[in-house]
Amino acid sequence: MSEKDATQRRPRAFRLDSGAVVDTAGQSAALDIEPDFYAREAETLAAGNTEAAIEGAQKQGILRRSLFSWGGLFWSALTSLLLLALGLWFTQLVEDLFRRTPALGYAGAVLIALAVLALVVLALREIFAIGRQRKIAQLHIGFAQARERDDTATARTLVRELTALYEKRADTARARKDAEALTQEIVDGRDLIDIAERSLMSSLDRDVQREIANAAKRVSLVTAVSPRAVVDLLFVAAQTLRLIRRISEIYGGRPGLFGFFKLLRSVFAHLAVTGGMAAGDSILQQALGHGLAARISARLGEGVLNGLLTTRVGLSAMSVCRPMPFAALDAPGVSDVAPFLFSSGKQEQTKNER
Amino acid sequence: MSLLGSILNETAIAARSLADYVTGTGLRLGVTGLSRSGKTVFLTALVHNLLRLSKASAAEPRRTFPVFRVHAENRLTRALLEQQPDDAVPRFAYEQHLAALTGGDEGKDARRWPESTNRISELRLTLEFERKEGWRKGASSLTLDIVDYPGEWLLDLPLLEKDFATFSRDTIEASAAASRAPLAAEWRAMLSSLDPKAPATETDAQKAAQAFTGYLRASRNDRYALSTLPPGRFLMPGDLEGSPALTFAPLQLGDGEIYPSGSLAAMMERRYESYKSHVVRPFFRDHFSRLDRQIVLVDALASLNSGPSAVRDLENAMSEVLNAFRTGRSTLWSTLFRPRIDKILFAATKADHLHHTSHDRLEAILRLLVARAIARAENLGADIDVIALAAVRATRDAKVKHNGDMLDAIIGTPLAGEALHGETFEGLSEAAIFPGELPDDPKRVFRGDGLAASDDEAAWRFLRFRPPIIEDTDGRPSPIPHIRLDRALEFLIGDRLV
Repeated sequence: MSEKDATQRRPRAFRLDSGAVVDTAGQSAALDIEPDFYAREAETLAAGNTEAAIEGAQKQGILRRSLFSWGGLFWSALTSLLLLALGLWFTQLVEDLFRRTPALGYAGAVLIALAVLALVVLALREIFAIGRQRKIAQLHIGFAQARERDDTATARTLVRELTALYEKRADTARARKDAEALTQEIVDGRDLIDIAERSLMSSLDRDVQREIANAAKRVSLVTAVSPRAVVDLLFVAAQTLRLIRRISEIYGGRPGLFGFFKLLRSVFAHLAVTGGMAAGDSILQQALGHGLAARISARLGEGVLNGLLTTRVGLSAMSVCRPMPFAALDAPGVSDVAPFLFSSGKQEQTKNER
Repeated sequence: MSLLGSILNETAIAARSLADYVTGTGLRLGVTGLSRSGKTVFLTALVHNLLRLSKASAAEPRRTFPVFRVHAENRLTRALLEQQPDDAVPRFAYEQHLAALTGGDEGKDARRWPESTNRISELRLTLEFERKEGWRKGASSLTLDIVDYPGEWLLDLPLLEKDFATFSRDTIEASAAASRAPLAAEWRAMLSSLDPKAPATETDAQKAAQAFTGYLRASRNDRYALSTLPPGRFLMPGDLEGSPALTFAPLQLGDGEIYPSGSLAAMMERRYESYKSHVVRPFFRDHFSRLDRQIVLVDALASLNSGPSAVRDLENAMSEVLNAFRTGRSTLWSTLFRPRIDKILFAATKADHLHHTSHDRLEAILRLLVARAIARAENLGADIDVIALAAVRATRDAKVKHNGDMLDAIIGTPLAGEALHGETFEGLSEAAIFPGELPDDPKRVFRGDGLAASDDEAAWRFLRFRPPIIEDTDGRPSPIPHIRLDRALEFLIGDRLV
C-alpha cells in the first residue's frame, strides 16, 4: 500500500441523525445500504437442498450397507442351494471322469480349480470396486460438509485423498500437483476446496458432458428412425446403462456387477427426487421443443423426448458419481449439455439426418 | 509439587471423570477468553438462540441457524434449561443478562451490554433431538453443561509447574519489555528497595503486593489493552481478597540461594505455594480437567486498536493460555480416566465491528495469533478451528461514497463516549463508520511497536456499538441476530447431534 493510499483509507465516521450523511468535517457523502449479506448467505444455504438430494440418493444406493434384509436372505439362501447342487454335480462329474480315464479326471479337476480361482478374483474385484465407489461417495459428502463448515484440516486431508484417487490418470497430473502444493500452504478451507474443484474437476466434467451429449444424440436419432418401438426401447435402455457406467468410470469408479446395481439404485433415487425439481427449470422448454418437433413428425418428437430422458439420467448419474459437490463450478442443466434438443425442429431434423 | 501430591491429584481427576461417565452428564463445553472478550454476551446469545430455535423459527428453520445441522434438518425438537448440577458453582445468570441486553421491563431504550462477570459460572441445557445415524435412531437428548470461566485463570495453570524463584524471574523479565517497562516502573523501583533476606513483615508484603497489583491493573487499561500476566486472581480476587494467598509479589532472588525461614523471601514463597494449592489446583481439578470441548474468545480488535505491541502481547498470552490445554482425541480409555479436550475453537469476537468483506482478514490475523498453539494441538490430534463471529450483531453493512471513494462501512449506534477524530458520540443516533482496512498480509499487524495509538496515526479504529433492538415475538424476545454463531456451534457440538 502506498503512503498516499494509506492516507486515503483512514477510518472515518459519518453521522446519520440529521437525515443527511455528513462526515466529521461537515462534508456530505452518499450512503448505499447493502442487502443483508448474512441473510442472503442463510438463504442460499437454505436453498441448497439439491445437495441433500444427492446425499440421500447416495445413501440409498452406493452407501447402502444393510446387514440384514429379507430379500438378501432369500437370494443368499437360494444361491447357496444352487451352489450346493452345482458342487454335487461337479463332484459327480469328476468322479465319473476318473472312473473312465484318470487323465480326463485330472483335466476336469484342474478346470474346476481354474473356475474357482477366477470366481474368487472376480469377487475380490467386485469388492474393491464397491469399496472405491463408497470412497467416492464419502468424499462427496465430506467435501460438502467441510465446505459448509470452512474446515481447513478436513479439507486438506480430503483434497489429498482426491488426488490419490486420480493418481493413475496422466491427464490430471498438472492439476494434482497444484492441488497438493496448495494443501501445504495455509489456505482457507473453503478456498482450498474451490480451487481443487476448479483444477481437478473441470476437465472430467467436460468429458462427462460430452458423453451425455453423444448418448442423447444417438438415442434421439435411433428413436426417430427405428422401425419398431421394441428396437428403440432396447436401444434406449442399453444406451442409458452404458452412459451411467461411462460417467462412473470417468469420475474414478469402475463398477462391477453388484456395484453397478448399487449405482443404478442411487441414480434412480436421485432422479425420483430431482425429477420434479428439475422439471421447473426446463419443463417449458421441453414442452416447446417437443411440440415443435412433434409437429413435424411424431417419431421425431419421440426422439427428442427420449434424448431428454437420457440427458436427465446422465445428469443424475453425474451428480451421484462426482467425488465433489458442485460449488465453485455450476451444475450443468439439460440445456447446457444437450442444446441441440432445444433448437428449432428444422435444425433438429438436419442435425439428426447428418 | 511432590510426587505423592501429583498422584493424588491425578487420582482425583480420574475418579471425577469416571463419575461423569457413569452418570452420563453428556458434554461439557468450556467458554473462556480474557476479560472483555465478550464471554457473557456470547453465552447469553448462545443460550437464548438455542432456547428459541426449537420454537419461534419452526416455520423457517433454516433462516436463523442454517449451518447448525441438527436444527437445519428439523431434527431439534426442544431445548430447555435444567437445574444447575454443581451446587458449589454459581449459576450463569442468563435471565438477568438477557434482560440487560434487551432492555427487559425498562423498555428497549434501557438496553445495554450485560455487566462482565469475573468468576466461574455454569449452566445446564438439555437438547432433545432425533438421531438419524448410528445404532440408536430416533428420539435422543444431549445434556450440555456450559462452563464459563475467566481466561486469566488459565494463565495460572502453568504456575503449577513453576516454583517461586522461576515465577519471580519470569515476571520480572516480562516487565522489562519495552511495552511494559513504563507501566512497571513504580513497582520495579519498589522491588529494588526490598531485601528478600530481611525478616518478614506484613506491611512489606502488603506494599509489595499492592504495587504489583497496580502494575498488573495498569497494563489491562483500555488504552494499552495489554493482556494479563499471572497470577490471574490478583485482578479478580473475589472473596479471597486480602487473604495471605493473594498477598505476595515476585522478588529479586539470587540463583540457587537458600533463604532462612522467617525471611521475607520464605514468607512470599509459602504464600505463593498456598496460592497454587488453594486457588489454582482446585480450579484445575474441579473444572478445567473435566472439559470436553472448548471455545476461546479473543478480542483481537481491542489489541488492533491499541497497536502492534498490544497484538504481540496478546499472542504471548494466547500461547500461555494454550499451554494449559490437555488436548487430544477422546478415546474410551481417556474418557474414563483422563479426560481431554478434543475440539478447540478460537473465535475473534465482535466481528460485527467490521464489514463482512474484512472477516477473512480478521480470521487470518487470529490464525496467525494462535499459530503456535494450533501446531501443538494438531500433533496431539485435537481439532482446532478459527472463526470470526459476533454473538450479537449490532450493525448492518453499507457502502459510503465519499470524495469519489467507495468505503465499506457499517451502520450502528456507537456507545456513548466513543470517539473518532474528535467527534464524540452520545449513544443516541446511528452513524456509518468506516473502520479502516485490515492489511492483506496478517503479519503486518505485528510489525512496529506502537501502543495506545492516537486517532491520527491509526490505520483502523473499531468503535463499540450499542446492542441492537431485539423485538418480541409471542411475548418473548426473538432470536438475536448473530454472525456465524451457528458455525461455531456446529463445530463444537454438531458431531454429538447426528
